[in-house]
Amino acid sequence: MPTIAGADIRKVVVACDAGMGSSVMLASQMRKRLKKYDVAVEHVAVNSIPSDAQVVLTQSSLAARAQGIAPDAVVVPFQMFMGDPAFDKVEAAIRDGGTLGA
Amino acid sequence: MATVADPKHLEGDSFRARVQRIGGYMAGMIMPNIAAFIAWGLITALFIPKGWLPNAELAKLVGPMITMLLPILIGYTGGRLVHGQRGAVVGAIATVGVVVGTDVPMFLGAMIIGPLTALILRVFDGYVQERVKAGFEMLVDNFSAGIIGGGMAVAGLKGIGPVVEQLTKAAGHGVDWLVSHHVLPLVSIIVEPAKVLFLNNAINHGVLAPLAVQEATQKGKSVLFMIETNPGPGLGILTAYLLFGPRTLRATVPGAMIIHFLGGIHEIYFPYILMKPKLILAAIAGGMAGVGTAMVTGAGLIATPAPGSIFAYLAETPKGGYVPVLLAVIVAAGVSFVVGSLLLGFGRGEPEEVEADEAAAGTAVPAARPASTTPATPVAHRTTSEA
Repeated sequence: MPTIAGADIRKVVVACDAGMGSSVMLASQMRKRLKKYDVAVEHVAVNSIPSDAQVVLTQSSLAARAQGIAPDAVVVPFQMFMGDPAFDKVEAAIRDGGTLGA
Repeated sequence: MATVADPKHLEGDSFRARVQRIGGYMAGMIMPNIAAFIAWGLITALFIPKGWLPNAELAKLVGPMITMLLPILIGYTGGRLVHGQRGAVVGAIATVGVVVGTDVPMFLGAMIIGPLTALILRVFDGYVQERVKAGFEMLVDNFSAGIIGGGMAVAGLKGIGPVVEQLTKAAGHGVDWLVSHHVLPLVSIIVEPAKVLFLNNAINHGVLAPLAVQEATQKGKSVLFMIETNPGPGLGILTAYLLFGPRTLRATVPGAMIIHFLGGIHEIYFPYILMKPKLILAAIAGGMAGVGTAMVTGAGLIATPAPGSIFAYLAETPKGGYVPVLLAVIVAAGVSFVVGSLLLGFGRGEPEEVEADEAAAGTAVPAARPASTTPATPVAHRTTSEA
């Protein structure tokens, strides 16, 4: 299972089925939270996650697909589109330099 | 993440992932082109003889847009998914072959021939890539794409087109049969659970919308646009959650209701069902009630409401069709609210009886996986995550 140190994270990819709806909404929320750490946030369709993606946030129903498309990325699944602890986990790893995906 | 109607994926996520991927591919050809659907829908609503501003000259836009522009865009996008810009171009060329000489909107044909032609070009490109002499690349590239695209357009016109036209008509007759035998609401039994498993785009844009467009070109509206997209069931379930759901989750619900009902992003309510899988029964009941109401009242939309927001519904309701359309949404919301509230026990025993809830869910869901049915995990740290 891939891991990444929080300090190495430069970009977080938010993926949803179409890359047009929920991922756009979540990406704009995460962008606000991660801007101060100089981490970029992008939204994509699950099928077109770039192969060099570092961290992928996606709903847990889509996580298996996301991992299949980007085997080297740290896929962080979440349940809820608002206020899920996974979002805090990502932010905390970036802020405090922890390890994601361990 | 288990639901009543999908026991197969309990074996593992691979089956669901595979279906999602195929569905995502079909939706991926349609969804980037939704703006074109909306343009067509609005022009139709305004300028056809029964529209708001009947205008024979402007109504000339309607036919070519639906029979030519939309399938060609789909074939183009399908080609692009397979082989980038070159694939897109040959996909568009080949799609022209299936759309000429028919008055059926050839969405299915476009979804087949666009990617297929791009695949042929991709194989060809892979073969010649290292065999072309320096300086001849452009000549080979342009003529190979032109010849393959043109050839497939001929094949589309002579071979694929007529076959797909028959298939499309047969599917349309199948839908007519469901409608005339008053069993269309049963479709919700499949649609609602599949939707919550994130197959929503695949079902609506891959299956229902192409059939609906065909019906809408003939009758000016289609109820099939309203089966997956009705925001009523989701609203009813969220309302039940707001009043009777786990207390720790209630605070997130008002925001979710706005995003779902006004913004049209239905994905927002799926996790609320995935956490309490028995609520899928409320979604099914609401969906069936909505479709049933739409059938009885003759409701229909003129184009696909995407996203499934109430605003998109209002914008794509035909002139004089507001009462049936709104009724279908309201009835769906009401029924799913009542059923959802019953299933949540009207909030009695929250949160002490979580275990009992799970046991009750277990009778309907043979083997719900523990991880997905325990709300404790996502709930535990939620208060800190609201910032």
